[in-house]
Amino acid sequence: MAAPINKNTLKQLAELARLKLTTKESDEQLKDLKKILKYFEELQEVDTEGVEPMNGGTLLKNIFRDDSINLEQKAQSVDDTGRIIESFPETDKGCLKVPKIL
Amino acid sequence: MHLHDLTIKKFNQGLVNKEFTALEMVQQLYKFIEKEDKKINSYLSLDKEAAYLQAEAADLAIAKGKGVGPLTGVPLAIKDNILIADQPATAASKMLENYTATYDATVIRKLRNEGAVFLGKTNMDEFAMGSSTENSAFGNTKNPHDPKLVPGGSSGGSAAAVAAHLAVASLGSDTGGSIRQPADFCQVVALKPTYGAVSRYGLIAMASSLDQIGPITKNVEDAATLFQAISGHDEKDATSSEVIYGDELSNHKIEKLKKMVIGLPKEYFDKGVDKEIIKKVKKVVKDLESLGIKFKEISLPHTKYAISCYYIIMPAEVSANLARFDGIRYSPLEGVKAKNLADLYLKNRSKGFGKEVKRRIMLGTFVLSSGYYDAYYAKAQKVRSLIKQDFDQAFKDVDVILTPVSPTKPFKFKEKTKDPLSMYMTDVLTVPANLAGLPALSMPPGFQLIGQHWREADILNIGHYYEHVQNSG
Repeated sequence: MAAPINKNTLKQLAELARLKLTTKESDEQLKDLKKILKYFEELQEVDTEGVEPMNGGTLLKNIFRDDSINLEQKAQSVDDTGRIIESFPETDKGCLKVPKIL
Repeated sequence: MHLHDLTIKKFNQGLVNKEFTALEMVQQLYKFIEKEDKKINSYLSLDKEAAYLQAEAADLAIAKGKGVGPLTGVPLAIKDNILIADQPATAASKMLENYTATYDATVIRKLRNEGAVFLGKTNMDEFAMGSSTENSAFGNTKNPHDPKLVPGGSSGGSAAAVAAHLAVASLGSDTGGSIRQPADFCQVVALKPTYGAVSRYGLIAMASSLDQIGPITKNVEDAATLFQAISGHDEKDATSSEVIYGDELSNHKIEKLKKMVIGLPKEYFDKGVDKEIIKKVKKVVKDLESLGIKFKEISLPHTKYAISCYYIIMPAEVSANLARFDGIRYSPLEGVKAKNLADLYLKNRSKGFGKEVKRRIMLGTFVLSSGYYDAYYAKAQKVRSLIKQDFDQAFKDVDVILTPVSPTKPFKFKEKTKDPLSMYMTDVLTVPANLAGLPALSMPPGFQLIGQHWREADILNIGHYYEHVQNSG
């Protein structure tokens, strides 16, 4: 498996990750990522036929609870929400204000 | 009492016997921090006012004749990715330089209820990404035993603070070895709990299928005390378990210990591990053997793939978890001007994140991208299953596994920063326990005890027994 990363894929990845890399950063990243991906090739020699992927760190199963209001929690969460909104740089009627989208 | 002699237990005895008050000790510690921390830079911020209030409350409770709990008044240092309400939580990143936490993490709430005192927040690799604390945006922490050497990472500040007696104990977080390896480099004790044993609510997430909060302490007994206090189910962390730990954690039955079989995985004593470290660990084995504990050589055949597996899964989760940092919600970055929202994200994230964080976000974005997902991420998840199965198989024959913690001794600053892969390799002996979700105890002179799920008691009891015999011998 050849190192499947080049300048173009790197540029595209940076865009997806909302990162703007300088030329120096791009060159360094490309060099490092190529080397790291090359190292990962060792995984291809492992026989994983029929092996189930391990998705998380736990074997706990999802459980569902009734959709009811816990008043104590609600009071706490209203308090927390208020403090989180206070920490926003700019607010308007309790909402976070950001620059225009388009 | 001299600060160098303070453990959680001795602090407690001192309070009970009225040798000192909590406030006196906290004041003495801050004086010592002011003098000594210039040399090692283990703390990023201190909150004296809050700590004095907590200490006074502990002293008042004692004066009123209320029972003194094991953590009443105990001064702790907390890694800067764990939230304490109204204190900074920067995760050692420029991205959160101006952020103040709005609530207590569950571990903090629990410790607060026990009457513990929080001295301040400790330095770390940015967002817990690194093995030397050199990735902090706010300067290096130095190894208290030799300032030319790194303290390890990512919880380097928490380990250095305990080793330099600038706190009685501390909390760190461990995603791939981040409390065990710095504890090893600084010659203190650390416990990475079973995945799900401790709530992560209020921990700034790095890789959610791997992260656990754990104690860094001066001895094994203290690690058990602190772990007991922070463990337990929390409905605010969906991965936290209902398992309840009893007094078994610190109640040692020597006869039971002597019936245990400890496995020595040959892959962990490989030529890649420093010879002096292997020699020290083999001496530990010999000492334990002479006490009647049996050893057995075992094999964990997929160990050699653990680094590749880890460095695919962890960055994938990092790229998702760090998407929330836009430079708006938690705190704004200074001096960033943008023409629209997309431009603001781009500028904030490029300015706010350091080099290693960017590298891992890029790597994670790559392994999750369509076309490469199966070859990297899906493959790594299957290899993760095989690594876990290796342990399941081994634990049919042995109760506990003993290995070295780190393949190298503490290294010099800048020695590994040029080549990220060489830095990643320092995690080779610690990541398997995270991938398999197992508890692991790291302690001097450089060994690690890995236990079965929810069996912290086994590793703590063996560790305590070893420490006791060493100290009395």
